[in-house]
Amino acid sequence: MSSAAPAETRVEAVSAPSPPIHRMAVALLSLVGLFISAYLLLHKLGAIGSLACGTGSCDTVQASPWAVFLGVPVPAWGVAGYGLLLAVSLVGLQPGLWGSRRVGRALVVLGAGAFGFSAYLTAIEAFVIHAWCRWCVGSAVVATLIFIFTLGELIRPGSR
Amino acid sequence: MAVQKKPGAGSSLRTFYIALAVVAVGGIAALGYAVLGNRGAADKPVELVGIENVRQLYELAKPEVLGDPSTPVKIVEFGDFQCPACRDFAMQVKPLLKERFFDTGKAHLVYYDFPLMEIHPHAFLAARASRCAADQGRYWEYHDLMYSRQHQWAYSRTSPVGAFTDLAKELGLDGGAFESCLKSDKHADVVTANRRLGEELRLTGTPTLIINNRRINNWSNVDALIQLIETSIGEGGA
Repeated sequence: MSSAAPAETRVEAVSAPSPPIHRMAVALLSLVGLFISAYLLLHKLGAIGSLACGTGSCDTVQASPWAVFLGVPVPAWGVAGYGLLLAVSLVGLQPGLWGSRRVGRALVVLGAGAFGFSAYLTAIEAFVIHAWCRWCVGSAVVATLIFIFTLGELIRPGSR
Repeated sequence: MAVQKKPGAGSSLRTFYIALAVVAVGGIAALGYAVLGNRGAADKPVELVGIENVRQLYELAKPEVLGDPSTPVKIVEFGDFQCPACRDFAMQVKPLLKERFFDTGKAHLVYYDFPLMEIHPHAFLAARASRCAADQGRYWEYHDLMYSRQHQWAYSRTSPVGAFTDLAKELGLDGGAFESCLKSDKHADVVTANRRLGEELRLTGTPTLIINNRRINNWSNVDALIQLIETSIGEGGA
């Protein structure tokens, strides 16, 4: 009497690449930043009378000459920047582009730009205006986190 | 050997898109609430119901008084918080008058709002803001702060509700109560009555000073103004 050996089933864990988690984080954070910037922009355009600022001085910061950069309100730059980061990270999450170095490089450049611009604005609040806008600080934190997550592109093996 | 594909990739992407959708819906809802919730700060005159004569306007106008109202010399000012000349009067002339006449019990100042919304779009709201500060017993401090910081809000292209609230907080007022007051139509009837009083008096500009029923055209000549007040005091307020 002989008996057949049971069929061996094994989960293959190495053949299917996983979607880049750090790009998901960048996309989510960019959406949060986009809403913060949109909120400040709507205030700048007069659609919102006052900002929910708690103990901060959002209107002082928003009314200052530094609230405009190259003739464009700073929140509009934020909407554009975060929108671009969101779009690029979503593109980078399409299955065929998970390992794309081109997308990775774009994210690193955009993340560094967002971080640098936020650092500049935070320094202006601290040393020039001497007033703090909690939404601006929130945006700076988001931009910093985005930059940190985009650094994941530098250590991730890519396709091209 | 049968090989199964790891199910994690599709699952984590699905979770990600759900999280993204939740953030998107939450953000849009919050923005919608912010836009709709900020409407309601009355910044224009309102219809006054039941006001049929000037006496009723006077009763509704409730001017603010600096000094002892029982002193015989009454200096009436019609001012506009967004008017640069009113700022000059408040910052440069009023302190002199206060020291010399109001604090010494010789005269008192009665302040009416005359917001010229046609050229000063934030003037009505500013007058209401000052009344909201009066609700917390700090009218004159807020009055002075509003004028001294006029450059911070007067040229704003957006509603200065937030700037006015910041000033209230700077004075240590209850910011929440102040903001609630400002974002309503509270005192809009009072400020409207002030404005209509000015119209009844056919005022042509601000600040307009009236000393014991005599209109003063050149208040910027401070020496002459002080002399005029001294004369009125000498006449016993007549």
